[in-house]
Amino acid sequence: MTDEQEPEPEAELELTAPLVPLFVVTGGRGLPPSHEYERTTLVSAKQDAAADARTLSPEAREVMNLVADGFLSVAEVAGHTHLPLGVVRILLAELADGDLVLARKPVPPAEQADKELLSAVLDGLKTRFGA
Amino acid sequence: MNQDVLVWCLVVVAVIAVAAVAVLSIRNRAVEAKKQHSETVLTARLNEAEGRLSNVSAELQRRQAEQQVTIRAAEEAAEESTKAVLKGAARFLQSLAAEQMVLLEDVQRKYGGHPVLADLMEVNHANAQMARRAHGIAVMCGAPLGRRTRAASVYDVVRNAQGQIRNFRRVQIMQQSGFALKASAVSPVAHAVAEILDNAASFSQQDAPIEVTFQRVQKNLCIVIDDAGVGMNDEDRQHASALLSGSVQPRLSELGTQPKFGFPVVGRIAAQYGFRVDVTGVSRYGGVRAVVLLPEELWTEEEITAPVAEAPRMSAVRDTDDETPDRPRGGDRTVSGLPKRGGRQRRDVAAPVRDAAEPPARPAAVDRGSGRSLGAFQRGTLSGRNLDPSPSEGSEDS
Repeated sequence: MTDEQEPEPEAELELTAPLVPLFVVTGGRGLPPSHEYERTTLVSAKQDAAADARTLSPEAREVMNLVADGFLSVAEVAGHTHLPLGVVRILLAELADGDLVLARKPVPPAEQADKELLSAVLDGLKTRFGA
Repeated sequence: MNQDVLVWCLVVVAVIAVAAVAVLSIRNRAVEAKKQHSETVLTARLNEAEGRLSNVSAELQRRQAEQQVTIRAAEEAAEESTKAVLKGAARFLQSLAAEQMVLLEDVQRKYGGHPVLADLMEVNHANAQMARRAHGIAVMCGAPLGRRTRAASVYDVVRNAQGQIRNFRRVQIMQQSGFALKASAVSPVAHAVAEILDNAASFSQQDAPIEVTFQRVQKNLCIVIDDAGVGMNDEDRQHASALLSGSVQPRLSELGTQPKFGFPVVGRIAAQYGFRVDVTGVSRYGGVRAVVLLPEELWTEEEITAPVAEAPRMSAVRDTDDETPDRPRGGDRTVSGLPKRGGRQRRDVAAPVRDAAEPPARPAAVDRGSGRSLGAFQRGTLSGRNLDPSPSEGSEDS
């Protein structure tokens, strides 16, 4: 009944690919438009989302759990779930369709801190404290 | 005088009559003897002929039997040699498909943030279908299925099966179960369920749903597959049952030019691994209800993968079993209410789900939480600056 009882002891094929392929995790959905759910977009679960989360797939639920209590960036969600970024984006888009998560646009580049200024500060600190 | 003449006449007549009678009886006797003689001769000949006939017919039967044996042997030899050839080819395809799946998985993780991911997933889907065909041919030729070395939740096994059919979006798994399949059963059950799902999908309308539910019936775990197709008539049903029970094992040459591998393959796998498949039920949509009956040797109740918790008591499971250290309410948070990043302890709990080949350097690194956060911060800023599409978050040990 088990594999050991096969009549021919030929080299057995071992399937090492993950059991659940990614396209099943995403349900075959396509990627959301590139300006939605960027790496730095912040996502959070909606307040009353927990009740609806029961029918979700394990992966989608893991995402929901991660964003349940506050905003987390899409990239961080991907890192925590160990899923490729694109898959997480698809899952988030699906969750947003189901009205389960909120997305907050990332801070526009213009408002971000001046990189040159920061590196100048870093250089200053390095010379001051001798890093 | 007259009287004398009369008497003499009578005497003469009598004499003539007696003579005639005598002559006739002699002739009669001769004819009789002749007839007897010829009869005996003929009977002897007849017997001889009959004997010869029976000899000949016995010979004929013997020859026919011999011929039958020879034909059967030749057919079996042909079947065996066909199988041997096909088996070699199928095994080759099997291993190629498996290899390709691993490669595709790596590529998908490598380009996880790139738009090409969607296409890669399509390719992987096509590959999974091809792998199912290769496995089916291999099983028909007596080769084993590829095996898996880890137990898995029955939910994930069905999702694997789902990925092996074309219209997998139609398959709806209605519940997540608290049951896990033992490692040796994962691959065969996944393949059997995939063939049944494929059958359900091809005999129902393009958009009709296929529902999968799990049920525990006494010591058996049942995977119930309901389709909204046209159903089967009694003859079809009997034929299907015979194939699925393995009592009828069609030859390769009997499968036709558009071979129907599905049920014969399921029958073989089921017989080999000790489970049963029944398609005699009627689904609640009037289609076919297929039930895969798994005896208790093949499954356990324990939860193998941490994220696959039973749906209705999800929150309870989360809080107790999973011990998610980064999720306690209001505990591990920054002043502004954002979740703290910490040392990724959570991944250490949940990591065995997907990443088997992860370097075991983790546990030592957990304590160096702040160092890791800084490293992560640095990596984040670096990737933020480059913003090139190649290395994605999912790829390295993020």
